[in-house]
Amino acid sequence: MGITRRDFVKLVVGGVAGLHVTPLPWKLTDDIAIWTQTWPWVPVPPIGAFNHEKSVCTLCPGGCGIKVRKVDERAVKIEGRTDFPINPGGICPVGMGGLQLVYDKDLRFTSPMKRVGPRGSGDFLPISWDEAIGILASRIKGLRLDGSPERLVAIDGNRRGSTLSQLISRLMRAIGSPNYIRCASVEDTYWMLNVLMQGREGPIGFDLENSDFILSFGCGLLEGWGSPGRTLNTWGMWHEQDRKGKVKIVQIDSRASNTASKAHQWVAVRPGTEAAFALGLAHVIIKEGLYSNEFVENYAFGFDDWTSSDGQKHLGFKSLVQKKYSPSQVADLTGVDARTIETLARNFAKARAPLAIFGKGKALLNGSIYEFMAIHSLNALVGNINMPGGVLVHDPLPLKDLPEFEPDPIAETGLKKPRIDEADTKKYPFTEGLIYNFAKAVLGSSGSAVDTLLVFGANPSFTEPDGGLFSRALKKIPFIVSFSPFRDETALMADLILPDHTHLEKMEEILWPPTLQYPFYGVSRPVVGPVFKTKNVGDTILELAKALEEPVASAFPWNNYEEALKVRAKGLFESGRGLVSYEDQAPPWEQMKKGRSPKPEYTNFDEMWDAIKSSGMWYRPIHSFKNWGKIFKTPNYKFEFYSTQIQLAIDELSQTTDKPGQTVDIMAIRASRDEVFLPHQEPPVLPGKNSTYPLVMVLYEMINLSDSWIPSPPFLTKTWFDNELRKKDSFAEINPRTAKQYGLEDGEKIVIETPSGKAALRVTLFEGAMPGYVFVPRGFGHIAYDEFLKHKGVNPNHLVTTAKDALSGLPLWWTTPARIKKTV
Amino acid sequence: MEETHGKGPRYGMTIDLDKCTGCGTCMIACAAENNVTVLPDESDKQRNIAWMLLYKITNGKPFPHTEVSYFPRPCMHCEHHTPCVSVCPATATRMDPNTGIVSQIYTRCIGCRYCMAACPYHARNFNWYDAYFPKGKGLDKYLSPEVSPRMRGVVEKCTFCHHRLMRAKEKAYAEGRRELEEGEYITACAEACPAQAITFGDLNNPNHKVSKLAKSPRAFRLLERLGTEPKVYYLSSKEWVRKLADNYRPEELQPVIKTKTG
Repeated sequence: MGITRRDFVKLVVGGVAGLHVTPLPWKLTDDIAIWTQTWPWVPVPPIGAFNHEKSVCTLCPGGCGIKVRKVDERAVKIEGRTDFPINPGGICPVGMGGLQLVYDKDLRFTSPMKRVGPRGSGDFLPISWDEAIGILASRIKGLRLDGSPERLVAIDGNRRGSTLSQLISRLMRAIGSPNYIRCASVEDTYWMLNVLMQGREGPIGFDLENSDFILSFGCGLLEGWGSPGRTLNTWGMWHEQDRKGKVKIVQIDSRASNTASKAHQWVAVRPGTEAAFALGLAHVIIKEGLYSNEFVENYAFGFDDWTSSDGQKHLGFKSLVQKKYSPSQVADLTGVDARTIETLARNFAKARAPLAIFGKGKALLNGSIYEFMAIHSLNALVGNINMPGGVLVHDPLPLKDLPEFEPDPIAETGLKKPRIDEADTKKYPFTEGLIYNFAKAVLGSSGSAVDTLLVFGANPSFTEPDGGLFSRALKKIPFIVSFSPFRDETALMADLILPDHTHLEKMEEILWPPTLQYPFYGVSRPVVGPVFKTKNVGDTILELAKALEEPVASAFPWNNYEEALKVRAKGLFESGRGLVSYEDQAPPWEQMKKGRSPKPEYTNFDEMWDAIKSSGMWYRPIHSFKNWGKIFKTPNYKFEFYSTQIQLAIDELSQTTDKPGQTVDIMAIRASRDEVFLPHQEPPVLPGKNSTYPLVMVLYEMINLSDSWIPSPPFLTKTWFDNELRKKDSFAEINPRTAKQYGLEDGEKIVIETPSGKAALRVTLFEGAMPGYVFVPRGFGHIAYDEFLKHKGVNPNHLVTTAKDALSGLPLWWTTPARIKKTV
Repeated sequence: MEETHGKGPRYGMTIDLDKCTGCGTCMIACAAENNVTVLPDESDKQRNIAWMLLYKITNGKPFPHTEVSYFPRPCMHCEHHTPCVSVCPATATRMDPNTGIVSQIYTRCIGCRYCMAACPYHARNFNWYDAYFPKGKGLDKYLSPEVSPRMRGVVEKCTFCHHRLMRAKEKAYAEGRRELEEGEYITACAEACPAQAITFGDLNNPNHKVSKLAKSPRAFRLLERLGTEPKVYYLSSKEWVRKLADNYRPEELQPVIKTKTG
């Protein structure tokens, strides 16, 4: 009995049909899926007990409340806190990605290290903490024995007035070096403005929440401005549909940034002419009599022309703006038509609580002092200083200073030596640190003026401008010590690493977030134990001081960093007022208007400190508004359009210099006569702008791209569009009209060249970019860190060619002459 | 459990585009919450993974009248003829009739990507590579045990943070409740948004804020004419933004009626 062909076909067809009515194929599909998917390398996150721990984010000065979700000892998620006054619930993208900064081993130093490979190679050898501190201590002792302690330099990126800053500068003084250089930020320019116009040393608070008309001079409200958690929350609140008292937001910007796009009105002012634009508005407000008579007549100095005691006639603010800043004059300079200027000025002056705000981009980089003065004059004209919805005048946080100590004779001699960066001298009396001058001095010296450099909380090799001037200077410094937790560009040049904890591993203080309108102090706490062998930099300093032995050690009587924090926080307790919790209350900016004193929540200092440590906050939602007769501490006890402080500074400098006629030049002021003391538009300086460099490069900042010394967490790479970063190329935004002149299509490669250097990137054509300008994002182009950030895009800082800002000597960041060339 | 077939909760969200600042925190909160892998080159938008994705749009006007805006786009959790569910040959995706949430069961997925082709919103991502957790680098240290990491060869998508619903339910049951309060269960993106642009809740519950907002005259949905009934609503009063939500014929697009909402 053979099998016929027919039988065979029957069997096969029947088999196939039968198979389909059984579950077998479906079971097999399922099984194949399972078999091909259980790979041993797919991680299985370990299970454990869930809990949430509260803290405060310290990745930027913003001070957002965070709670960290943990599984046993592992942190698995960062969330915003709803029981926190600054950011009720939300946080920014950088804070949200913060876990990767803690756990990504390749971003961090895992223990103290000494360099074994060439500088920049990242080749380090782990050493013990004792050895590391020993190496540094003996180096410093050697300098003191040589009688040249001033050859020790510290660069400090921590906040002005922070305990860490005070400990570092104290260490420098105890050792005997005057060369403690603080990195400048916009807070320094705010500080200076406050001194020059209001005679006050303290933070500036913008009462955004209570204002009904925000005139923002390039402030990147949606790009991470001030305290991003607070600013973005306010933005959401402004757009509540059922909100009473609508707000109007006007953005002055040279490109359609998120803020400009989402504002009610975008005014495209040429970058660098913002001061003139502000004064143009002032012109209209004065001419049409829309200013606050009460304020200007009684509480302001230098508005009208005046005669000084020596009989000399002086120009007033009114005459200056009437003469030089009419709408048509300003229109020519700024590129905005006169009608727009007039209408805007009227709308601003007629609002209930108009507020002109300043500090470009993220309010991270220092600003220009005369520009800030010009903009702040608008707040003065409308009498919105120290008023609800205005600019609030405050004392600094009532923190105690660390107790005085006597430097020993070696230190005394060292401290008398001149500062290498000339900051805080008569030449730059309002500036605390000039890194540019430091780098120049190091490069210009024949020997080694600097022996050892300590770097705290900063990455100047990446963030400083002028074609890598700072990095070149580093090569000339014999010994560099980095305290960074991260393997950043500056740390890779270091010889010794004493790594700090990352933000979730440490106790740290949070000082008054920039631009916040009420006093705030916070403490973050370790929510995870140290993942690696790192140490809180505050404790490292104290241990170093001990290793330096007497007499340096006795200037640091504290056993740990927390003790030093507590010494200063005693001042908060003694000030007698302040809240340490935030639950179901009205927001502080509402409480402030009510003027009721909050109930004290503690009876002694220890109670207060424990409460701050667990809640993370101390704040004071009370304020005495208006009070115009008392708040100004200028020589005239008035708001000064005409800054007597500038006059005093110039007089002092001219007494010491042999060229008194050139004091104004030395201070890099380009105006003359009475204008020097008044808000004015400095002639825009574009070093080298001519036919060689027909375009202008302008920096811009993105909220989802870190451009500070903190690396962008890898999560952020997901949020960049492929016309911001494509593989290794970052993009420059140009207007299609400008692109046409160069025959450029979207996405094509170009070389951009400035007096400081050149770089290759791609162009993205964007209608929202001002024609004739090239917009480059700040934060790409790292040569350090790991595969997520390294060699991705161009670092525009190195392309920026800075001029000195008048009076402060700080760099002018935003505009650099440039040319572009299409490459094939 | 008895199936409620639409009469129980219908979880959904509204995203207020007038509030949205385009910061991207929702994307990061989503990736961190759901163990989404970060590849060394995330600029490869054909191959990377983002459950919540930000789209940038412009009004196309010349300088200085240009405006940009953003569409954050999670899974739409389509209520009607859920396109991905109807095509999946492996029953790896399903719309839960009790919650309206469209799930994805990774171990059932055979990687055919039919669902990706069917989804009109590009809300599904395929794992072209192994998830990127190199040994000893530490990137696996922050993974949450509530969401299983995916493997090469499967499709993944937004689940409206389904594990958070489980978490909230467990808590409610432990406290002797069967119903969830408003706000007890919200997605990671809604929680993280610093401008409070995202509202999440039960669209079937008239007391929930989300159901009121979804009825606002400012509300609209993406590609509404396909009839997929997305449970994600957008809010905007800007004409040019609304216009980009669908391929409207000129007479189809109605201006926003200015009425009080909320």
